[in-house]
Amino acid sequence: MSSQQSWQRIAAVSQLRDDEAFPAKLGEVPIALYRLDGQVFAIDDVCTHEFALLSQGFIEGRTVECPLHQAKFDILTGKCLAAPATVDLNRYAVRIEADEIYVSVEPQK
Amino acid sequence: MFLRNHWYVAAWADEIGRKPLRRLLLNEPVVMFRSEAGQAVAFEDRCPHRHLPLSMGRLDGDVLQCHYHGLRFSIDGRCVRIPGQDQIPPNAKVRTFPVVERYKWIWIWMGDPAMADPDTITDFRWLDDPNWGAKGAYLHVKANWQLVVDNLLDLTHLAFVHETTIGNAATAEHATVKVTRAPNSVVVTRWIIDQEPPPTFKKVGGFEGTVDRWQIIDFAPPAFLRLDVGATPAGTGAQEGKRVGGIGMRNLNAITPETETTSHYFWAQAHDFDVKNPEMTNKVFEQIQTAFWEDVEVFSAQQRNLDLMPNASQLDINADTGVIQARRVLSRLHDEEQAALHVSAAE
Repeated sequence: MSSQQSWQRIAAVSQLRDDEAFPAKLGEVPIALYRLDGQVFAIDDVCTHEFALLSQGFIEGRTVECPLHQAKFDILTGKCLAAPATVDLNRYAVRIEADEIYVSVEPQK
Repeated sequence: MFLRNHWYVAAWADEIGRKPLRRLLLNEPVVMFRSEAGQAVAFEDRCPHRHLPLSMGRLDGDVLQCHYHGLRFSIDGRCVRIPGQDQIPPNAKVRTFPVVERYKWIWIWMGDPAMADPDTITDFRWLDDPNWGAKGAYLHVKANWQLVVDNLLDLTHLAFVHETTIGNAATAEHATVKVTRAPNSVVVTRWIIDQEPPPTFKKVGGFEGTVDRWQIIDFAPPAFLRLDVGATPAGTGAQEGKRVGGIGMRNLNAITPETETTSHYFWAQAHDFDVKNPEMTNKVFEQIQTAFWEDVEVFSAQQRNLDLMPNASQLDINADTGVIQARRVLSRLHDEEQAALHVSAAE
């Protein structure tokens, strides 16, 4: 973790549910938080195929399926797993302090 | 695209009597009538002799007589008399369809009769449940049946098409939407919290302030949409399951393809308040009827453009999630039905 890394508070852990994404804005960027097995992950919320919000899609295991055209992404890594999308999503580092979720404003490489 | 191995609504029960009624279902001509005992019967509407619609004939007891050469058919479809001929060939029969009368509707099975299980008829109990008031109607739609399904799965259109009745801006702009899916169903749950009620809700519910409004759309293939809708005064706990002090309704829809570009639309509105008051039942019905006439105009205008430009691409927006999931269910069921047909043809 670099010392210059800046973080934005997004939500409280208690606001998240296992079966539902939590859509939010990181600056101006739509992102979504997911809680899987007690761990929180943050990825872009806009499908890289067309403009659909993945937080309105379907969570299956560790993947999220786009609500419109069935593209699939890995929630842990942002990796694109199924067409028609071909480009990965950005993923963001997550830090939890006293039930508060902070997300790194810069995507992880 | 039609799905055959499903129950469809063929008519309101009170449409069928001792006068044969012809109706095209899934592109096939069907004639319906009642036996002397009152049992609903459905034949293919085509005399096996020279193809005249049997609906042009007349009933004589439990026998339907063709208008052309007087061949007579009993309610099981067998030819029982050919004028001027003693012997009746074994293939002299008309195709019959399985029929069930339930929930004030006549249900028909257009597919393989061996698969017609009445237990798989979709539940529309609100139509004849004494705890609900209900009134319905039939609409002829000049559009493909799937356009009607699409319409009921995306209720953002209420804000634009139905602003004098069941819609207002809040219906599109302030709804939280959750879509859940199972192999053969899609449920779209919409909550519109602490917003102005639309005109119809003011008229029939007497709301003065803002309301919490729900629209829970339950889709079952091929084309059944049961909408659990209603509102309670804002902040009284409807979202947590406490529905008190407001109104609850069921908007009930069954769409049956007539042809690829026309449909039969059977619908009703049931209400859980003032249930024994026919004036309230009428008032609720008339509000929704106004809205549905507006929809019918939309469907036929869409179909005219689809006919002109059948291969034009269409834009999908976030509100289409339920529509797209339902179309996927229908497409998969169609593929499965076609695959099963090919297997049985090969055997």
